[in-house]
Amino acid sequence: MAVRILLVEDDSHLVESLTFVLEREGFEVRAASDGEAAMRHLRFDPPDTMILDVMLPLLNGFEVLKFVKSDPVLKAMPVIVLTAKGQAHDRQMAETIGVEAFMTKPFSNRDIVDAVRHLTTRA
Amino acid sequence: MGRSLIGPRIRERRRTLGLTQADVAAKAGISASYLNLIEGNKRSIGGTLLQRIAAQLGLAVDDIDGAAERRLLDDLEELAGETLFAGLQLNRSSASELASRHAPWAHALIALHRSWLDRNRAVDALSDRLTQDPRLADAVHDLLTKASAIRSSSEILENVHDLEPAQRARFTSIVGSNSRKLADAAQALAAYFDSTHADARSNMPVEELDDFLVERDNYFPELERVAAEFRAAAGIEGDCGDGELLAFLERRHSVQLRVQAAADLPPGVDPRHFAYDPVARTITIADSAPPASRRFALARTATALHDGGRSIAAELDRATALTSDMARRRAERALSSYLAAAVLMPYAAFRDAAARSRYDIEYLARRFLASIEQVCHRLVTLRRPGESGIPFGLLRVDAAGFVTKRFALPHLSLPRHGNACPLWAAYGAFQAPGAVVRQLAEFPSGDRFLFVAQTVEKTRPAFAMPRRLLSIMLACNALYADQTIYGDGLSTASPAGIVPVGTNCRTCVRRACAYREEDPIIDA
Repeated sequence: MAVRILLVEDDSHLVESLTFVLEREGFEVRAASDGEAAMRHLRFDPPDTMILDVMLPLLNGFEVLKFVKSDPVLKAMPVIVLTAKGQAHDRQMAETIGVEAFMTKPFSNRDIVDAVRHLTTRA
Repeated sequence: MGRSLIGPRIRERRRTLGLTQADVAAKAGISASYLNLIEGNKRSIGGTLLQRIAAQLGLAVDDIDGAAERRLLDDLEELAGETLFAGLQLNRSSASELASRHAPWAHALIALHRSWLDRNRAVDALSDRLTQDPRLADAVHDLLTKASAIRSSSEILENVHDLEPAQRARFTSIVGSNSRKLADAAQALAAYFDSTHADARSNMPVEELDDFLVERDNYFPELERVAAEFRAAAGIEGDCGDGELLAFLERRHSVQLRVQAAADLPPGVDPRHFAYDPVARTITIADSAPPASRRFALARTATALHDGGRSIAAELDRATALTSDMARRRAERALSSYLAAAVLMPYAAFRDAAARSRYDIEYLARRFLASIEQVCHRLVTLRRPGESGIPFGLLRVDAAGFVTKRFALPHLSLPRHGNACPLWAAYGAFQAPGAVVRQLAEFPSGDRFLFVAQTVEKTRPAFAMPRRLLSIMLACNALYADQTIYGDGLSTASPAGIVPVGTNCRTCVRRACAYREEDPIIDA
């Protein structure tokens, strides 16, 4: 069964290209364009892993991350947080809440595929 | 540095000019032997005699009675309070020596200190912008997200060889549209940095304005004359209400008042202020502006139109303390307020009402249909030689302790940078908003002052926002307390009613003070 990824990102073009790349690698991708949509996915159809941008409309990425990491079932799910280069504060905040990996924008397609593969095979 | 130096200064100056005691005494209208006693500090001197002697010697009273030097000392003391100098044991006596023996060096130090503080503020503002400004963080994130989308799509175009034509067209279009958005976002960011640069304002203009007002003793006889002349021209004999001002504006200048809901104000008009449009010949003001503010706006516009701004421009031309355009603009605003106040609260009538009511601020506000703040400002200008009121100092602080207006007094130094002593009535007034708080305050030097403070409330932008309170404090030497209603029941004879205060923690010698939040830096 394919590994299921929730891609939480509000830039539709980035979602489109990443979805294309990840699906070609055999992953099943769902996308959410804001924090509240991400929460609905997490509650009703939890994925195997999540790629989460920190800056999102409605609920921000940290709030979503905090929900995941304080939920007894969801907290085992590996999360990759997307940050902007140079935003050390964002990284610290995500580390404090608990996160498995970071990816700094602008990343290459290969980086993100490798990161997802690494985290999902480890689990 | 007090009276003790006046005699020797007079003697030293007289000798420098090669004048005899008899020469100077005759011109000042006193006997040579009396001048001899003054020079030997055996007789005290002040008032008009001091002014006459100073004039004979070609000096300002400030120079001769040490007021200028005391201001310099206060500034040096504030400089000595910098943490940077903690280990240097700078004290008041060596500061005094520097100020009296090498005044130009002391002034150079103060100038450096001010510009150093100013640079620090600019650096802080810029660094806050870079680390905390959410717009900047958003913009950077947006740029990098678009760059990610371009990179991801172009890698697909480059590396995926079996793309369908439709897919190839789609990813090519993503690269194209994001490239354009990226260029726009980069331009917006560059524009943002331009505005950040412009916003890192200097504090020096505020200090220059302070110096200018102190130099002129906050009394401008020419503006008082123009105000009286305006009242005559507008046919205003007694109280000056909105009606008189509106009638004058309409009759002489065809200017109308437009009162608008704050939400409907044209862009660029701050709801807290008013705007005069010389083309449309209208004054626009928010309907939320209190009546006293509206009247003040009318008086400012009416006097400016009547006099064509000439009297204020003449004062500014003579002001050597104002070096920057920003400082001159601030001074222009301050003088325009001065002129409006002089129209609404004419000198003689206001001074008489103040003396008769024993400086009852609330009564004066009702009597002259003015705000408490306008009355306090006007009280500080009652310095006409021979017809002066009580010499008051003034301080205005916000709830964060930030000093937004100050007018110092001899021996009472008001902080320029940072906070004053938390015991001051100015801060106590926040505990009972709207109530008048009075206090007999004693400084470590033994100087005593009557402090009278009251908060005033400014319009807040929305109900959900905090109340916008500012505390206005008047200060006068405790010797004048009995001439005011605020001195009633306070006795300088009984220590029980006297509050031991300081200037601020860093320069205060009261080590055991329960209110101390910072260690003293200056030695006792």
